[in-house]
Amino acid sequence: MTAVFELRNLFKAFGANVIYEDMNLEVEQGETFTIIGGSGMGKSVCLKLMIGLLPYEKGHILFKGQEVGDMNREQLRELRRHVSMVFQGGALFDSMNVFENVTYALREHTKMSDQEMLERAKECLDMVGLGYDPDIMYRFPAGLSGGMRKRAALARSIAIKPEVILYDEPTTGLDPANSKRIGEMIKKLQRELHVTSIVVTHDMPIAFGCSDRVAMLWDKKFPFIGSAEEIEHSEVPEVREFVQGIFREDKDD
Amino acid sequence: MRAILESIGKAVNDGLAWAGGMTVMFVQAVLSGMRRPLGIYDIFYQIVALGIRSIPLATLMGIFVGMALTWQFGEALMGFGAKNAVGSAAALALVRELVPTIMALTVGAKIATGMTAELGSMKVSEQIDAIASLGADPVKKLIWPRLAAATVALPLLCVYGNVLALGGGALIADTVFDVPAGYFYETYVDELYPMDYISGLVKATTFGMLTGIIGCYQGFQTKFGTEAVGISTTNTVVATSVTIIIMDFVLTMIFLPVG
Ligand SMILES: Nc1ncnc2c1ncn2[C@@H]1O[C@H](COP(=O)(O)OP(=O)(O)O)[C@@H](O)[C@H]1O
Ligand SMILES: [Mg+2]
Repeated sequence: MTAVFELRNLFKAFGANVIYEDMNLEVEQGETFTIIGGSGMGKSVCLKLMIGLLPYEKGHILFKGQEVGDMNREQLRELRRHVSMVFQGGALFDSMNVFENVTYALREHTKMSDQEMLERAKECLDMVGLGYDPDIMYRFPAGLSGGMRKRAALARSIAIKPEVILYDEPTTGLDPANSKRIGEMIKKLQRELHVTSIVVTHDMPIAFGCSDRVAMLWDKKFPFIGSAEEIEHSEVPEVREFVQGIFREDKDD
Repeated sequence: MRAILESIGKAVNDGLAWAGGMTVMFVQAVLSGMRRPLGIYDIFYQIVALGIRSIPLATLMGIFVGMALTWQFGEALMGFGAKNAVGSAAALALVRELVPTIMALTVGAKIATGMTAELGSMKVSEQIDAIASLGADPVKKLIWPRLAAATVALPLLCVYGNVLALGGGALIADTVFDVPAGYFYETYVDELYPMDYISGLVKATTFGMLTGIIGCYQGFQTKFGTEAVGISTTNTVVATSVTIIIMDFVLTMIFLPVG
């Protein structure tokens, strides 16, 4: 197995607010890797570091052996052509309709004709389960439900056919049926496009139902990494508390 | 005493950091603007959006500042029995000083806060990160067109405001002070040299650039949460008005050397 992302001895802080200290993480090609951990601990920061949206002070982030922090503008563009991110709230562009949103990366990275883009947009919307409605392309984000917005955002991220997809809490704020649908979609993209997925989530069914390996963020690093099975039934008190605590919360809802 | 000095020191520090950050962003925006594609369509779109949306406010400001100033001068000149000179007196004050400054303080502040609110909510909802993650440059896509558009739109609105201020002035001169509108117009235009128009336009252009970069910078600097958008928008109002008033003084010194 080859590593797609390797994070070594990473240190990241915002002023006095230390997020990562001597952190290590490795994600293998083709796997679905899930990151769990408490709110505000730095899970989103981890994903943003990986695609060079945030700088880091010390340590290494390697994408296929190349240091992300040393990349110039062109190299970063190239990185982002292969690695795409699905943001927590979807982050669809309010001023553009779904078609323009979904094809944004195509317009940046390729010279596709309008017809080709239309084809690709249809294909992607189909893939995320929004293909049933031909009008959807011309709707604006404000006119979509939460679940549709997340799926449209997902379509935007896969339009460029990335090798790696980073998901930031893809199911937060969705009802169980929609959450399940997103989980299925992550598995389907993995199966059909052979992408490597890195998923940040609080949703334990997603964490254990979709992933090959799970890492738990604790004390500014990832001390607990194992197969989904191992983490789900871990005897380590911190992990057990977190995993079961989440389950309890879920039942309270 | 020490605490006071420290807080002054911190304020100066923060101010310098702010100005420094903005300068860096300004340079980045201009550099990104020169890279192809030039994004002419985006700039044009912003000019139309900013300009058209500002016309009602610019209209009001232009007419009323012309009327109020002419009234003031007419009143003062009447004391010397020189009310016929009201056109000449109003011309310089309006064209060189009041129209550009009032336009920047109202229309400019409105443009800047609009940008901060728009970009701030894009920042908070991670749309700016999304632009970068999709392979585009947010500075080029968002800041450059707005900066360029504000720099072009404010002088245009200023020219428009000048025409209205002249009209407002003529109205007051004619109806209140019995100075015929035609005579007001002649003395008004007679008083002005090309340099006066130029100094007004240079001011308006500078103010446009400042409002554009402040509005964008504040938007991009927005922290987390929707209340953060409110905070940075409020700061934008203060920042643009202070910067404009100071810059107005500096430019006045440059264009009107004493002696
Ligand atoms: N751009 C930023 N500037 C300053 N602080 C940040 C920034 N992004 C995140 N943080 C801080 O980093 C910490 C982790 O944030 P985040 O990664 O969003 O947490 P989560 O694990 O919930 O995704 C928080 O304390 C947040 O305030
Ligand atoms: Mg997060």
